Amino acid sequence: MSDVEKNTGQGDGDEERPVDAPGETAESKPPLTGRQRLAAGLWPPRVSRAQLIVALLLFVLGLGLAIQVRSNSDNSALRGARQEDLVRILDELDSRTKRLEDEKQRLEGQRTELETSSNQAEEARKQTVEKEQQLGILAGTVAAQGPGITLTISDPKGAVESDKVLDTVQELRAAGAEAIQVNDVRVVANTYFSDETGGIGVDGTKVTAPYVFKVIGRPQDLEPALNIPGGVVQTLEKEQATATVARSEKIIVNALRAAKRPDYAQSSSH
Amino acid sequence: MIAVLGLVVGVVVGLFVRPEVPAVVEPYLPIAVVAALDAVFGGLRAMLDGIFVDKVFVVSFLSNVVVAALIVFLGDKLGVGAQLSTGVVVVLGIRIFSNAAAIRRHVFRA
Repeated sequence: MSDVEKNTGQGDGDEERPVDAPGETAESKPPLTGRQRLAAGLWPPRVSRAQLIVALLLFVLGLGLAIQVRSNSDNSALRGARQEDLVRILDELDSRTKRLEDEKQRLEGQRTELETSSNQAEEARKQTVEKEQQLGILAGTVAAQGPGITLTISDPKGAVESDKVLDTVQELRAAGAEAIQVNDVRVVANTYFSDETGGIGVDGTKVTAPYVFKVIGRPQDLEPALNIPGGVVQTLEKEQATATVARSEKIIVNALRAAKRPDYAQSSSH
Repeated sequence: MIAVLGLVVGVVVGLFVRPEVPAVVEPYLPIAVVAALDAVFGGLRAMLDGIFVDKVFVVSFLSNVVVAALIVFLGDKLGVGAQLSTGVVVVLGIRIFSNAAAIRRHVFRA
């Protein structure tokens, strides 16, 4: 034991070879004899029984050493492991697998949740866009197209007044008109008509004859609604204006109105 | 010289032939190798001391290997195999160190 401590105490001094420091060795034997014996044993190779036996044993040692090093390095560490170690490793692997399975399940659940919620969000967004389009058509902020009629009122005498135009619009609305524009002005819920010299004011914008109504709705409903006896067309003809109604499969109402944000009213639904 | 040659040949054969070790022996191989190393160092020291006897070397070599393997085997059966083999390695390591120190004194005179 003291040898070990001495050895570790001297440390790296072992590496270099002190040439002449025999005073420190308190050996009883003359130190040179050991080296001489070693050199004598090493160099002139003699085939003696002792040499052969030692060679055999060292061969076995080298063999075992090489095999062990080999099996430790090129195989996995499991090869030389003891049974209880293997059982422990197996247990650890099992619990690890279980943990990872759990985690996988959790993550998959999360993924499903996220996918569902993103689908729902997408659906809600679509519905919102659709709703916005519908409301935009009603509010006149987006252009609309569809089947409908074109009503052209020519007024050479200037006899058509705003109340007639209002009656026409009411009639059209009653017949199911969904989007109306008069010349270049969109008619919406709060549109008002006024008399102007040489024309009519629609929401303050002056429009002049001929008044062209572009109306989207069911043509089979709109046209009879205008043409009924005592209806709009007859009344206008009494005023010596001419009204012509033309059905069309595609009417484009493209006059727009700026969206107006209410200053005071807020939705009470949320 | 022939002994050193034997060691070298053993290592080379073990590396290149790659013999298959029976599974029964396999757990005892590392401890047996350490025990044999201890015997070899002991033999080297004896040779430097001038008291080397080949018969003693053979017996110590074989008995070292067998006892070490036996201890590990017993430890495995008792369920303390890992601890016992650690103990064997520690003891053999101490012996190897002390032998190496004696050899060092002979060779380097320090």
